[in-house]
Amino acid sequence: MTVGASSAATVAAAQRFQAAMPDMGASLLATQAMAAPGELLNLSLNASAVLPEAAVLLAMIATLLVDLAGEKVATRWVPPICYIGLGSSLVLLALQWNAPLEPSFLGAFLADNLAVAFRAVIALSTLLSLLISWRYAEKSGTPVGEYAAILLAATLGAMLLCGATDLVSVFISLETLSVASYLLSGYMKRDARSSEAALKYLLVGSAAAAVFLYGSSLLYGLSGSTSLDTIGLALQSSTTPLAALALVFVLATVAFKIAAVPFHQWTPDVYEGSPTPVVAFLSVGSKAAGFALALRILVGCFGAFDDQWKLLFTVLAVLSMTLGNVVALAQTSMKRMLAYSSIGQAGFVMIGMVCGTEDGFAAMVLYMAAYLFMNLGAFACIILFSIRTGSDRISDYAGLYQKDPLITLGLSLCLLSLGGIPPMLGFFGKIYLFFAGWANHQYLLVVVGLVTSVISIYYYISVIKMMVVKEPQEASDVVKAYPDVNWSLMGMQPLRVALIGCVAITAVGGILSNPLFQWANTAVAGTPLLQQAIALSSLKGLG
Amino acid sequence: MSDFLATLPSLQAYLLVAAMLFCIGVWGLINSRNAVRVLMSIELMLNAVNINLMAFSSFVDGDLIRGQVFAVFVITVAAAEAAVGLAILLSLYRNRVTVDMEQFNLLRW
Amino acid sequence: MTIATTTELICFLVLSAVVVIGALGVVLLSNIVYSAFLLGGVFTAVAGLYLLLNASFVAMAQILVYVGAINVLILFAIMLVNKREDLKAIANLTTRRAVSAGVCAGLLALLVRVVVTTPWSLPGPPAVGEEATARIGEHLFTDYLLPFEVASVLLLMAMIGAIVLARRDVLATDVVTGEVADQGLIEKARTPLLMNRAE
Repeated sequence: MTVGASSAATVAAAQRFQAAMPDMGASLLATQAMAAPGELLNLSLNASAVLPEAAVLLAMIATLLVDLAGEKVATRWVPPICYIGLGSSLVLLALQWNAPLEPSFLGAFLADNLAVAFRAVIALSTLLSLLISWRYAEKSGTPVGEYAAILLAATLGAMLLCGATDLVSVFISLETLSVASYLLSGYMKRDARSSEAALKYLLVGSAAAAVFLYGSSLLYGLSGSTSLDTIGLALQSSTTPLAALALVFVLATVAFKIAAVPFHQWTPDVYEGSPTPVVAFLSVGSKAAGFALALRILVGCFGAFDDQWKLLFTVLAVLSMTLGNVVALAQTSMKRMLAYSSIGQAGFVMIGMVCGTEDGFAAMVLYMAAYLFMNLGAFACIILFSIRTGSDRISDYAGLYQKDPLITLGLSLCLLSLGGIPPMLGFFGKIYLFFAGWANHQYLLVVVGLVTSVISIYYYISVIKMMVVKEPQEASDVVKAYPDVNWSLMGMQPLRVALIGCVAITAVGGILSNPLFQWANTAVAGTPLLQQAIALSSLKGLG
Repeated sequence: MSDFLATLPSLQAYLLVAAMLFCIGVWGLINSRNAVRVLMSIELMLNAVNINLMAFSSFVDGDLIRGQVFAVFVITVAAAEAAVGLAILLSLYRNRVTVDMEQFNLLRW
Repeated sequence: MTIATTTELICFLVLSAVVVIGALGVVLLSNIVYSAFLLGGVFTAVAGLYLLLNASFVAMAQILVYVGAINVLILFAIMLVNKREDLKAIANLTTRRAVSAGVCAGLLALLVRVVVTTPWSLPGPPAVGEEATARIGEHLFTDYLLPFEVASVLLLMAMIGAIVLARRDVLATDVVTGEVADQGLIEKARTPLLMNRAE
């Protein structure tokens, strides 16, 4: 009897909450009921929040229009259009930093500092991926215009996902990102490996989307609203098994997007089969969007289920760090090795999320930014090597330093940074994460993180050893037949710029990382969502 | 029994139909060897979600019917996904001349 | 029990039976063409359920998009890839199917339990009934404006991408150097995910 009474009480409380909520839809209805059509137009859309996305969209449309003029014109004009679009998008994002917060599109989008930071990471990762992809696309004879357009659409989806505060906009932007990613991974359509990667990605991804939708339909049924705020309030007053089920469904999809073990199965195949520049984008941009989604839904909505999802995330993080880094040891293909290493890296970032403290969130943002530069730098080197030699076997890198010091130096620095060796950027990111975890008493996570870091250093170093230590006569056949370095071809200069830029930031960023720390801390401080979660968890700690 | 029947079609009844459809879709997703059938199973799962949304929309959220709008979006996305999926399948079929999932399945770990 | 409720009940039971049995047929029948037609039946029956829920607009959208577009697309795909294949036998296939059926039954039991035990906040506000279509339009241009616009980008991109992937011609040469393009063969030394092209 008491159970029934208490559940009835919780339902009543939920209804009261809903009644008290400033629900956009309800206010909308009221407006519609009383007023002439003119009144509707006065509702403030506050659409300037999505200006950065508008810049990306304009660049996408311009790319498609230019592409109508033929492949030669497209090769000439598409790159500058993309640079202008993404560059202005980054500038517009910078203008939104610390701007006064107002929900836009009647509660569908919120441009808080967290969203701005993650959108900047995504836009930058697209820009760098495009810089390193022109030569690759031309050499493989794939149409450049459509490639850039689809990548820009993926960027648009990912950026909107970072700020979406409504289940419908979350779903649509998630699908824009996903469908574009499927298309991109199948872009080398004469290569069976690429098509197979795309098909696997599509099937697993659509299934994940369906599971996410099932979870969100339960959330809708529970709260009667699609707004994440309202759902969060409804969840606070209801601890039914329904909410737990919805949590599991949503969490599975989030874990799929950030490729956490055991939802990682697609990663190695997709990374190995897809065109390398696409992998560069997927490993950074798509993952950043996944973490932003995780923060919005888990921290924002499931605050009442703090202990449960943190426990699940701890398990996922331990598994990801262990399996990702251990299996990476056995890989012979560079791309596959980076795929497993990226699974491990996602595990490190999840430590910050489990902490749920100011430092934890800031460390997450910082590590994502650091990961952007070091991972894309490594990919730039791999792409350059594969364009020159047509190989990505690790053993083919033997003795490379005599033929190509630039790749050797760049790849070594980026891999060292990924492994977390001081004084690279990655070291500071990692130490901050571990520090935040230790301060929050997440000893298991930190210890596993430290041990697996050591393992990861082993396989990163073995690549470097392969490149540097071998004598000239021990060099691989590919390296012995290494072609002359020719930077004059169209598309090679952007590749060089991206490579040198990423490597320089990775190497020097560690020493000059203070602005980055401040940036990450401001991102967390300027996000009401995270501040609430921090306040809640510190209350819990006290009580 | 007749008491139960008299309450039909209630919210729970719709949700049960949706749950069955979803589970059948999951089973088909795991077990189908033909890639086209896997796509069909995914469509079944999406339809289950839509039944859920529509049922909630008319029983829980009858005046604002946000669930119906959500369902329209799901239908849109399902169409886009199906088109892309079949395009990828065609391009793979040209390379491989098979739609057997077991032959695509070379996951090593 | 009035005639109206009895009719509604009978309609609901028939439609649900069609949905569930049809879906079972889709995944169980060995001939994929039958599966595709049954899928069309499931989609239509789901549209019927929407009509029972007083949602005529979504029911029409369901018929137009699912039956008219997606199902036809699937039939086209079946015809385009219609080579008769003798699938290689797999060891323990029956065991695998039984185990996954067990897992799915467990999932179903869980879902059913949650559906039955959850105290839904019923009855909700009164339904809008015939005004639903107008209300959907209002939503699309007010609080769901952003997803509505993004959906247009999604559809444009999906269309372009599907055309690019499905059309036959690819550039034969590198536009810049004029060399023969080696698509997919840039990384020749990679271990292929697949065996060579089947005969």
